[in-house]
Amino acid sequence: MQRFFTLLLAASLALVARAAETRPLTLGLVAKSQGNPVFQAARMGAEDAARELSAKNNLVIKIDWRTPNEEDAQKQAEAIEQLVLAGADGIAVSCSDANKLTDAINRAVDNGVPVATFDSDAPASKRFVTYGIDDFECGRQTMEELAKTMGGKGVVAVLAGNQNAPNLQNRVRGVRAAAKKYPGLTIRDVYYHKETPQDAVARIEQVMQANPDITGWAFIGGWPLFTEHALNWQPGTVQCVSVDALPAQLQYIRSGHVPVLLAQQCYQWGHRSVELLVDKIVFKKDPPAVKEVSALIPVTKANVEAYAANWTKWLPQ
Amino acid sequence: MLSRLRHFVRLQESGLLAVIFALGALLTAFSGTVRTPVFALGPDGARQRVFITNAAGERIPAVEERNKFFNAQNLAQLAKDTSFTAIMAVGMCVVIISGGIDLSVGAIFALASVLGALAFHHFGPEGTAAGASPWLGVALGALVCLGTATACGLLNGTLIVALRVHPFIITLGAMAILRGVAFVVTKGQSVGGFPPLFRDLVRKETSGGLSLVPLGVMVFVTIAGWLFLSRLAAGRRVYAIGGNELASRFSGIRVERVKLGVYLISGLAAGTAALLALGYYGSASSGDGQGYELNVIAAAVVGGASLTGGRGTALGAVLGALVIQMISSGIVILGIDQNYSQIIIGAVVIAAVVLDNFNTWLARRRLARAAR
Repeated sequence: MQRFFTLLLAASLALVARAAETRPLTLGLVAKSQGNPVFQAARMGAEDAARELSAKNNLVIKIDWRTPNEEDAQKQAEAIEQLVLAGADGIAVSCSDANKLTDAINRAVDNGVPVATFDSDAPASKRFVTYGIDDFECGRQTMEELAKTMGGKGVVAVLAGNQNAPNLQNRVRGVRAAAKKYPGLTIRDVYYHKETPQDAVARIEQVMQANPDITGWAFIGGWPLFTEHALNWQPGTVQCVSVDALPAQLQYIRSGHVPVLLAQQCYQWGHRSVELLVDKIVFKKDPPAVKEVSALIPVTKANVEAYAANWTKWLPQ
Repeated sequence: MLSRLRHFVRLQESGLLAVIFALGALLTAFSGTVRTPVFALGPDGARQRVFITNAAGERIPAVEERNKFFNAQNLAQLAKDTSFTAIMAVGMCVVIISGGIDLSVGAIFALASVLGALAFHHFGPEGTAAGASPWLGVALGALVCLGTATACGLLNGTLIVALRVHPFIITLGAMAILRGVAFVVTKGQSVGGFPPLFRDLVRKETSGGLSLVPLGVMVFVTIAGWLFLSRLAAGRRVYAIGGNELASRFSGIRVERVKLGVYLISGLAAGTAALLALGYYGSASSGDGQGYELNVIAAAVVGGASLTGGRGTALGAVLGALVIQMISSGIVILGIDQNYSQIIIGAVVIAAVVLDNFNTWLARRRLARAAR
């Protein structure tokens, strides 16, 4: 009888140990909106990282994707709170509104759930790391690439979306700083617009009507290129460099309207966030700095097809 | 005991309550457990994490295992998440009972939020009136938020009555205008930096770390809605015009005045939800409340309000919001792919309306039989 109980106890302990061993590490991923391809790529990156790190470290990592259909910071805050209550071990979030998410992030951290931000930060929160581009550098690089294609001379217009968005303001500052290096270049103006493809295209048409001498455009966001036939001029007559390299934008590289697109590493947003979270939770390793900057990848005619092939992997088929 | 049970079964909301209990039981049974850190009140009265020493002599945070769904934290969270939609659903229910519809509640929520936020910011730590009495700041901010929402509701009602245009059209137009105003006022920026007193009032926690103010406001609004609709003559008039507007007019009811009142109530409810959200989340932007009108209408309809007017209750609207939120939270707790949540919630809305129609048909048949 005693042997039976001993065996039973041993079996129970083994089961408990196995259960503890295979308890999945659940990482919540809260992006800004479901429909945006950049966040679908981030999700794919997170899931790939979860698979790779699970195999490498003998773990079971599960990605819990909790992203609102449309941009809604309140829904994001609720998602973070729900993830904490559902037992998530860590959370990565791209903040639609830093002010609104700061409390939810702090509360998660106070409850022992580390939070990383990607793409869009909440600087006043207790997140342990943020991963994304340096906006000033992004603007600077956009202008450098444009100056290169324009041979350092001509009249440039800057398309800049919402004039009150702090990240876009930083990019505009970067554009202006880089332009100072080229005395032959003149910035005609910075043009703002509602951040929809239609509004962006309408603004370009208005500006070109009023300023036919413009020979270069710096798009610090890719808004107009999300539509077809946005650029109403012969390829090569007006040079254009744009941030982002979404599938819809790549056709402008192929047609020669846009010589360079500067791609944000949206797949890496998810992939790197998961790596940082696993390092923090499993290996108790903090990142060397709170801000981890991701570089922009230039996409040109030379590598456009290779880059396009990425999207077939990154987007759900 | 038996008579109490019979009374419960006869309650208009008994079906919804049964669904809520069944959902709760299912979620409790299948949600599994979660390990959460243990907190205790420190000497300074603040909540602090409890640490223990393990066998290896390491100081580690103490954790306890709890049911994922049936625990106080999760239920308080469920109540908080429900409260914003539920409060607006009470207002929407009144409009729907009158035979109308209000598509502008999400936009009213946004405009009231941003104007309230600007007022609160004015009295906040970085505002120009930072030195003023914090209570004055809270009172004025709340007044701006509720006043804006009430004025928007009144404007909707006035246009519907004066222009004799279907409320769908007027409130659809108002939805675009009000959100546009919110965007222009804030230039698309988020407004934060409120007086700490305001945030402390709304986020006030019990010693167990539960934030119950949203739940309290939701209960208060439900009781107010129930009193208005079932105990006041003004509320009965709403049912009357929703049931038969022409007959109500001939019986001496001032239909226009009642209509004006219901849109005002809907605006006020949206303003109350906005005020609560401002205090809880601490900021507002013109994009707030996007698409909320559909959630709010869905909650009222699931709660038994008839889109043809004349039927619905405040309690039903709140329970409808709770059912939808329970499904939404349940999907997170059970770890189901969130892409299914829209499908499930849509199916529940349709099922609720079909069941409600079936119920009405049964009741009519019973009445017809009794009359024979």
